[in-house]
Amino acid sequence: MRGARFLTRRRGVAGSGRGWHWTDIATWVWLVGGTVLMFGPAVWLVLSSFKTPAALAEFPPTILPYAQQTMEIDGRERPLFTVTTPDGTTQTMAELRRVGIVAQMVDPAAPEAEPLRVNIAEREPLREIAFATSNYTEPFLRFDFWRFFRNSVFVTVVATALTLLTNSMAAFALSKYDFRGRNAVMLLIIATLMVPLSVILVPLYSVVSAVGLLDTLWGVILPTIATPTGVFLLRQYMLTIPDELLEAARMDHASEWQIYWRIVLPLAAPALAVLAIFSVVWRWNDFLWPLVVLTSTRNYTLQIGLNSYAGELNVQWHYILAMTVAAIVPVVLVFVFLQRFITSGIASAGLK
Amino acid sequence: MGAITLEAISKSFGPVEVIRDVTLEIPEGELCVVVGPSGSGKSTLLRLIAGLDRPTRGRVLIDGADVTARPAADRGLAMVFQSYALYPHMTVRQNLAFGLENSRMARAEIARRIDEAARMLEIDGLLERRPGQLSGGQRQRVAIGRAIVREPVAFLLDEPLSNLDAELRGAMRAEIAALHRRLGRTMIHVTHDQIEAMTLADRIVVLRDGRVEQVDAPLDLFNRPANRFVAGFIGAPSMNFLTLPVPGPGGAVTLGVRPQHLRLVERGLTVRVEAAENLGAETLVHGTTVTGERLTALLPGQLRPRAGERLVLGHDPADEHRFDTDGRRVG
Repeated sequence: MRGARFLTRRRGVAGSGRGWHWTDIATWVWLVGGTVLMFGPAVWLVLSSFKTPAALAEFPPTILPYAQQTMEIDGRERPLFTVTTPDGTTQTMAELRRVGIVAQMVDPAAPEAEPLRVNIAEREPLREIAFATSNYTEPFLRFDFWRFFRNSVFVTVVATALTLLTNSMAAFALSKYDFRGRNAVMLLIIATLMVPLSVILVPLYSVVSAVGLLDTLWGVILPTIATPTGVFLLRQYMLTIPDELLEAARMDHASEWQIYWRIVLPLAAPALAVLAIFSVVWRWNDFLWPLVVLTSTRNYTLQIGLNSYAGELNVQWHYILAMTVAAIVPVVLVFVFLQRFITSGIASAGLK
Repeated sequence: MGAITLEAISKSFGPVEVIRDVTLEIPEGELCVVVGPSGSGKSTLLRLIAGLDRPTRGRVLIDGADVTARPAADRGLAMVFQSYALYPHMTVRQNLAFGLENSRMARAEIARRIDEAARMLEIDGLLERRPGQLSGGQRQRVAIGRAIVREPVAFLLDEPLSNLDAELRGAMRAEIAALHRRLGRTMIHVTHDQIEAMTLADRIVVLRDGRVEQVDAPLDLFNRPANRFVAGFIGAPSMNFLTLPVPGPGGAVTLGVRPQHLRLVERGLTVRVEAAENLGAETLVHGTTVTGERLTALLPGQLRPRAGERLVLGHDPADEHRFDTDGRRVG
């Protein structure tokens, strides 16, 4: 009730809440349009992932997944059609066979009767909403989807854990220790933000190749763990932790490692949560680098695995769509449950 | 245990010399208050003693042992920070236990010390709370408790009462004094509040621009300030300084009289009243002398002088202080 009132609240004529002001209309158009624009592709992706290959190839495309209704006649599934008979009435009939543009059709209520010859222009397929769940089950059961999924989870979890560890250590040193060249080091780290992966792809490949990490998951993980964004984000947050706390800990016989582990890390938790979310999303969606490093199918991550459904001559859209949905589910869940950390963490990290 | 000696300590931050050649001896069990205006280097001095900063020159000795190069944790001192510096993600109990756990003390002993300190400071009921759930006064107690459980040879307190409201400050001041009597340990208390200094201290160290101006018992400091700065800094409202028409004996050029010591008399100094503040029991009169020097007088009773009115003030010669051209006390 209150929700409905909230949704239908209007400025109205002269601010009275009754009637329509032009800003009410503009607001509605803007919000509805925005919602369609943002959610349209996602909804289309999810619904299409349940379509059969035939339905996907159909033109004009439909929003909902449809399949033709069938009925068992003489031990075989026969497709059902709505037939317009010569006298103008319509009737549901099953197709027995089709020759050219003429189909032999029979009334499903009386399958023993003589088949009627119907021009295919005079019939419409009888369809119902049907979800082709085999798009999901087959990759899981017949292909290596599970292996790709496990590889992706391994890369994401390990890379995120190492990212948090190394970046927070760097940030701790850069925010809490005063040493010669500290700002220069910080600047150098930030400067690497300007170098995109595509520029260092070849040298990075030779390094990874030289240390024998080609075609291993570690080869995907290790080059990605140090991120300038992460160091910067954590450092800015750690600057807000008062130095007196560290001095109190020093008086309390805490070693520098204990100060980092027991004082600074717990207090930097909001910023760590933000970085963890970012890192999960980055590593999960990584495509280019894993594509370069991983060569054998058993090492593929999800994104590379998805790519393998697109062959040179044939793209298995129904599998790609279904597996794309399966691949975005973890990221969506991370966002749903942790998004409050993102907003609060970014706000308090001084990166407004 | 707990005698602290500073030998010609200096500390510079870059070109800025914050502490200049401070030599100080604090005997065991004394409550020593370091007082001075802001920027005088009192907190830096405390940090040098604590070991959080290293002196540029000079030595720090505790019980005769040179600890200048020793890290803060190994000096056997405990510090109460101005901001309390309680670990916000730990409960009060964990806050108290942190230092003891780090020095690998047995669990039973940790529990015993925490219980004892909690009882002494009446924070038993708060042990499972986090600092964020405590009031300012309670946080203050926990901060002191964290120092007590360590059983240090000396306590260092860095403006511990400055974040409390006036009423609580008075109560905590009394508690710190009681705690000092009870524990009998050396305490070095830094403050800019001279009332805190006067009421708490066995001895007061007055610091200005990183230099020790005077070290004395509170009343000696009040009665016989060594120089003009100390005379003006200790006592509220602060001392009046009047230029002597002719230099007195010993080269005295300035006469100092405390506002409390001025009285209405028949013949004496004529003062033109500018404003008067009625405090109830006393009246604080702001005025100027005939030579244009500013002067305040704290007169007993409720007077209602109008602005522009002339009052004649005098004082007992025993209450006057004389200073030479360098501001040093004469006689």
